[in-house]
Amino acid sequence: MIKRLTGLGIVIFGVLLLTFLLIHLVPGDPVEVMLGDSATAADRVQMRAELGLDQTLPQQFCRYLGKLAQADFGLSIHTKTPIITLIKTRFPATLKLAALALLIGIGIGIPLGIYAALNAEQWQDFVVTLVSVRLSAMPAFWLGPILMLLFAVWLGWLPVSGMDTPSAIVLPALTLGLGLSAILTRMTRTSLLEVLNDDFIRTARAKGLSESSVILGHALRAALLPIITIVGLQMGSLLAGTVITETIFSWDGIGRLLVESIEQRDYPVTQACVLVIALSYVLVNQATDLIYRWADPRVQLA
Amino acid sequence: MIKKFAISILVLWIGAVLLGRLVQLNPNLIDLNAILSAPNAHYYLGADDLGRSIAARLLRGVEVSLLVAISVTVVTMICGVFVGLLAGFYGGKVDQILMQITDIFLAFPGILLAIAFAAVLGPGINNLIIALCLTGWVSYARLTRGQTLSLRNRQHVQAAESLGATVPRLILRHILPLLASILVVEATYSLASVIIAEASLSFLGLGIQAPNASWGAMLRDAVRYMLVAPHYVLIVGLSLMSLILAINLGGDYLRDRLDVKTKL
Repeated sequence: MIKRLTGLGIVIFGVLLLTFLLIHLVPGDPVEVMLGDSATAADRVQMRAELGLDQTLPQQFCRYLGKLAQADFGLSIHTKTPIITLIKTRFPATLKLAALALLIGIGIGIPLGIYAALNAEQWQDFVVTLVSVRLSAMPAFWLGPILMLLFAVWLGWLPVSGMDTPSAIVLPALTLGLGLSAILTRMTRTSLLEVLNDDFIRTARAKGLSESSVILGHALRAALLPIITIVGLQMGSLLAGTVITETIFSWDGIGRLLVESIEQRDYPVTQACVLVIALSYVLVNQATDLIYRWADPRVQLA
Repeated sequence: MIKKFAISILVLWIGAVLLGRLVQLNPNLIDLNAILSAPNAHYYLGADDLGRSIAARLLRGVEVSLLVAISVTVVTMICGVFVGLLAGFYGGKVDQILMQITDIFLAFPGILLAIAFAAVLGPGINNLIIALCLTGWVSYARLTRGQTLSLRNRQHVQAAESLGATVPRLILRHILPLLASILVVEATYSLASVIIAEASLSFLGLGIQAPNASWGAMLRDAVRYMLVAPHYVLIVGLSLMSLILAINLGGDYLRDRLDVKTKL
């Protein structure tokens, strides 16, 4: 446990260091780039001091860490509001979107995977596999517009974009969730097929258990482990996918904040968004690991 | 069957690109009378929001995509394999430090880090390639390291070592050849993912800049004009998907053919 915590600590430290160094990768003088030509020399000096760019790198890093410890990301250059406020208003929207997408992914993916595995090598299996392979080859910026065209433009069931009505979340969540469900379908099918021929399944059947309790109680429980790992790993692409999906559907989450900050050369905001997304991913992965340990009787919680 | 399908799609694309070059299609020719026109006899796939031929821009776009994908794949593979070999061969502290670094890179989900690098480096094709290279080497490093760790203790490697083979010789003659097939398969899949990443970054305006054609940037325009010209978004999307699918199927074929799972 201690070893794992140190590992986690090192990763978090590395993430902090890398995001801190980002701003120093800006070619030339970041202050120059951010302020543009019209700024006066005094403005530049003031901003340089504000960002701490007049200090040495280690000093700057310590300052950065110190401020982060107080949840202080500094001010947005563009709007002059504290970045923490921006994140506090935008992050919940992303979490809502990601959570619904996860539900859609699991809700569609696991049942379909079970269905395909139970009908393995038959036409139902073939169709499910065909669709899920095609779906997982569709990046968000292609699936999103297709869904938008279909459900919002042609059928007119859902709003095209924005977040004014509660139903506006459906299309972006579907965009993110369908890709996840495709991967989960394939994963569930494979791992269920692997255990279906095991002895303990035969034993369960021999005991006279109903087919549904054999599948759901015994087989799925054993097949769940690789699925949990995949869900955890896919949370990463889900979080990264929000950047594109939120941009397509004008969903005011942290992903869109990131893209806006890049367009406005608002580097401190960019930095903060990258950090928040990466740290949430690290935490999600840790949580997945714990769930995995809880779900697998062979792995002892150390 | 799958092989034929994958190869024919790839051949079609490459043939079309060459043909387009041969008849000197101009992807930047603006025809204000044709703005967002549907496919017709003159513009086979219609025209975009500036009245440029979508077909010509698609062909230039695939050229750029493949160029970026191939260069990024080559660079990241070389760097990643180098790191992975070092870590796997020496083990111990070297391994620990190198893997700690890859873990940090892996802590950034998906293309987030590439987005961040592209954002600070500024847009443009060169910076796009740099951003994708900076983040792409990690998967090769992980893969190579794992394989090398187990190959390191194979008898033929130990035999060569006890006969006094130097470290470069051990790595180049006795370990790397056994890694070749798994790396070829990984590289094929990564071609597809680099194409998607490039398109994503260009979609966000961080990649290839106007007036140069790129599929990501075309999709971005296409989404903007989806209500008036739905054919635009469909054509670009289908093209992208056909290419990704063909490459991934090619990867599946290579994986089965080279028998990657059972060999190592």
